[in-house]
Amino acid sequence: MSVIGRAVINKIPEVTSNPIGDNKIELLVPKEKIREVVTIIDEELPDAMPESAFGIDLENDHYEIIYIFWSHSTKTLVQLRVALEGEHPEIESVCDIFSGLEWHEREVREMFGIDFKNHPDPRLFLLPDELEGAFPMRKRFQSDLSRLDETGITPPKPRPKPEGGESK
Amino acid sequence: MSPDILDEAMEVWFGPQHVSAHGWATKLTLVGDYVVECDPNAGYFHRSAEKVLEFKNFRQGSLVLERMCMLEAFLAEYPYVAAVEKIADIEVPERAKVMRTIMMEMSRIHSIQFWWGQFNAELGFFTMALWPWVDREYSLDVFEELTGSRHTVSFSTPGGVKYDFNEKVMKQLDRAIERFEDRLPKFRDMQMGSPTFRARTENIGLYDTKQGLRWGLSGPPIKACGVPMDLRKDDPDPTLAYDMVDFEVPITENPEHPGMSDALDRMEQRFKEAETAVEIIKQLIPQIPDGPIVDPKARGKANRLPEGEAYARIEGTRGITSLWLKTQDKAQTAYRAKIRGPCIASYYALKDLVPSSKFADFIVIFGSLDPYPGWWDR
Repeated sequence: MSVIGRAVINKIPEVTSNPIGDNKIELLVPKEKIREVVTIIDEELPDAMPESAFGIDLENDHYEIIYIFWSHSTKTLVQLRVALEGEHPEIESVCDIFSGLEWHEREVREMFGIDFKNHPDPRLFLLPDELEGAFPMRKRFQSDLSRLDETGITPPKPRPKPEGGESK
Repeated sequence: MSPDILDEAMEVWFGPQHVSAHGWATKLTLVGDYVVECDPNAGYFHRSAEKVLEFKNFRQGSLVLERMCMLEAFLAEYPYVAAVEKIADIEVPERAKVMRTIMMEMSRIHSIQFWWGQFNAELGFFTMALWPWVDREYSLDVFEELTGSRHTVSFSTPGGVKYDFNEKVMKQLDRAIERFEDRLPKFRDMQMGSPTFRARTENIGLYDTKQGLRWGLSGPPIKACGVPMDLRKDDPDPTLAYDMVDFEVPITENPEHPGMSDALDRMEQRFKEAETAVEIIKQLIPQIPDGPIVDPKARGKANRLPEGEAYARIEGTRGITSLWLKTQDKAQTAYRAKIRGPCIASYYALKDLVPSSKFADFIVIFGSLDPYPGWWDR
């Protein structure tokens, strides 16, 4: 296991690890511990770069958030996986530790309906105002023709059926 | 900041209609000539690509990806293809690996040539805006000869590539490389030797490595601080041919501010990036092996993927470009695909980087980071 994985698990025994390749490690983090784990990454990997943070909808009110950090000097990729439950799950914001995650958290909030406690700027990031609260990246968000009325676009004409009797 | 200063403040929207603002809008609060607050806004170019990918099959997906940044289409489409190959366990023929690497480096050169034109036009240095765009035609000729398209190339496919190098493509490629080798030193003299350009960019948009990494910057904006952070060396993808090449990661170290970079250093860095790309292509062309360009079993394997997760990342022109893919068993489409574009960090950085600089320097700082809206809006 990589040095950073051991450092995190020694301090927070609730975290479990899962190797995903050379110098790549995944840590399964309980949601209450996310700030502590990110703080340890910040201390142990001085050149950690917050690469990405994003949500996944696992359906039936189960969600996951994945945080990815990359450290160039140690060539280590750390992937944190946090499981969340509920209609509107909540998690602590970590963008005061790594400011680059601020926009990623805003995107997860508007797309999945996961709230970040103490986020400095919880405005919509990519979506227009009328989609506030629609959470379009959730699996139950319908994006097919059944929502055509809301758009104001004229529905496509049905294809004309070929005339004549039935073919054999 | 005392409140009476803010009484005189004026809010200015830079974009989305401004000609330099191609698909973004930033709200600037000005006091006199100085910016006191910068609020970059996203969403003007949002095409819900991640949702679209949930409805496209695994051979269509890369076509969505290349539209994220058409200037570096060969690089942009690649992470998706690599992630599919990882989950489906698809082997890539050696010839395809080398061809991919050559075209990705060509794409890097093309993107930098475009940026030179754009950045210099924004600065009013018009000679250096038009000359690289003449050379850009040489890159586009190669793309057109190879794929039939100048921008939306759709070259990589799971298991290899779609189009083979023929004699005519090789001729165009040689012609382009010869041209770049001849012209790059001249461009460098003209750009870096211009006292006007130096005065306009020196000590503008200065930040150190630590701060840059905090924002999430990667690629040239970090390499310009003197840190050789480059996935081509650090974490090369096994389906590319960077192990066949002997090259140094280009970095820029400015003795006047070690560990930091300003707009001038970032320009210097782009020249080194282009020179390294030319060097890589020159080394790879004689090494192209014979053989098939695509694994014949790949088409069947990519039809339905097993359950899995994969994370594929490459060093794009602007920094780390990656795609995280999750599939369910016997899936025909992605369950979740997350695109990570490098420019989400460089656009975010403006928020901290621009305040206390002059209004006129805003576009210098913005342009020197080379942000492309497709990468943050997706």
